[in-house]
Amino acid sequence: MTFAQLLFGVFPYVAIILAVVGTFWRYWSDKFSYSSLSSQFLETKQLFWGSVPWHYGILVVLTGHLVAFLFPRSILGWNGVPIRLYILEGLALIFGILAVVGLALLIVRRLNNPRLWKVTSTMDVVLLLVLLAQVIAGVWTAIFYRWGSSWFAAFATPYLWSILKFQPDIALVSNMPWMVQTHIVGGFVLLALLPFTRLVHLLSFPYEYMWRPPQVVIWYRRSRLGGS
Amino acid sequence: MKREYFLRGVPLKKVAAVIVAAGFLSAMLLSVVGAGPPRDAGDGETIFQQKCASCHTIGGGTLVGPDLQGVTSLRDVDWLTRWLAAPDKMLADGDPIATALLQEFNNIPMPNLGLTDAEVADLIAYMQAQAPAEQAPEDAGSAAAQPEPQPEPVAAAPEGYVDFGSKLFVGELRLENGGPACISCHSIDTIRGMGGGTLGPNLTHVYNRYGEAGLTAALKSLPFPTMQGVFADRPLTEGEAADLKVFLAQTDLTTQQPVNATGFVALGVIGAIVFMGLSQLIWKKRLNGVRKPLVGR
Repeated sequence: MTFAQLLFGVFPYVAIILAVVGTFWRYWSDKFSYSSLSSQFLETKQLFWGSVPWHYGILVVLTGHLVAFLFPRSILGWNGVPIRLYILEGLALIFGILAVVGLALLIVRRLNNPRLWKVTSTMDVVLLLVLLAQVIAGVWTAIFYRWGSSWFAAFATPYLWSILKFQPDIALVSNMPWMVQTHIVGGFVLLALLPFTRLVHLLSFPYEYMWRPPQVVIWYRRSRLGGS
Repeated sequence: MKREYFLRGVPLKKVAAVIVAAGFLSAMLLSVVGAGPPRDAGDGETIFQQKCASCHTIGGGTLVGPDLQGVTSLRDVDWLTRWLAAPDKMLADGDPIATALLQEFNNIPMPNLGLTDAEVADLIAYMQAQAPAEQAPEDAGSAAAQPEPQPEPVAAAPEGYVDFGSKLFVGELRLENGGPACISCHSIDTIRGMGGGTLGPNLTHVYNRYGEAGLTAALKSLPFPTMQGVFADRPLTEGEAADLKVFLAQTDLTTQQPVNATGFVALGVIGAIVFMGLSQLIWKKRLNGVRKPLVGR
């Protein structure tokens, strides 16, 4: 078995199994840890400049990866006109840079604040470093190996499906530049880390906020209290 | 301070170790079970047609690379084996024969085709079988005179159209067999805006480097290791190859300078700054607290 087979043919399965088994295990053994421990009470000003760009950036970029995975031909069709390709790539790069900047600020914030450092676990540090490497590799790929949105649909999508079909086709990725390969392996590392880090808050985020009817919170008004 | 998440009688490290081990074992199992049907090994001719024939002939003359007629007597088997298995490595190591060949063939390196040892052996056996039988070295000149079956000449290729080639390159026309447009990974200096892709090489002057016959052959099967993963099952049609060839012949004449990534990166950075400015505008009251506005009512 070659190193490439190990990385692209075996490790993805290890990561998937770790993610699935670990997720259930954590839910059964430590249900109430299913969150990302908020540090907003400890520090809120810098948090805004890190958390907002990071979360908007990574959500848009992740959604982009998911869409290209599910609808590769639509992506290729959209990219068929160069100006549309440039719009898609430009937007993706903007949000990718936001993710890198936001995450870097979050790391600096955690390092510089002793109160935050007190509530930072080893796994938090591991996760932050892996995430940073991952988003930097992603932006690097976007800039130096253009145009990723098109070749993702041609190479990464069939590769990912080949894994899900239990016939990993590593020829699709084994000749990619090493930065791209780092990004692929990094994605599976993060999948494996998901249940063992604060990343589980992905699974406990109250997504129903996005479609529940708005709840209007009304305070007692002065006029009512005053009785006039 | 260390928080320990998963202590329920069993130490975290032990449980993690068991899970990792179980994961590895099941993954090994899955990858063996899912390895798929074995490749069509044992057939040097099939491999030659799939992986070599776009750049080489046996007795049909030079294409991108040399005619391989009699190559098994020209080079020893050990050298051929190493060359077929990892030409990139031999070039990097400065092998004198490999370096000379590289210069002779317009500095187009032979790509590493990812052949297994068994495939290499099959290929060499095939090439040995194709060598002119019982030919003494002094007869070398008479090879052409033998009534040897010549490979069929390249069939009259369909005529290509520059306009179609250009549209196929950028993706305005989809490739019939579903391959991604060239612009996904390649650029041409005449493409303005933010240019073409940079995962693969710039193809502006590829016509000059490969030559008419070489480019025709290369477009036929796109024998490059990275591309094979996608295009082995989705080859260009003959018409598409012809259109792209005449388009590339035309771009070879351009003197335009390529577009670099500056505009693209600037767009990304400026966009990110604008977004952060917007978020400040939208949430600028976030630090005011809730009491003041309430008291104010």
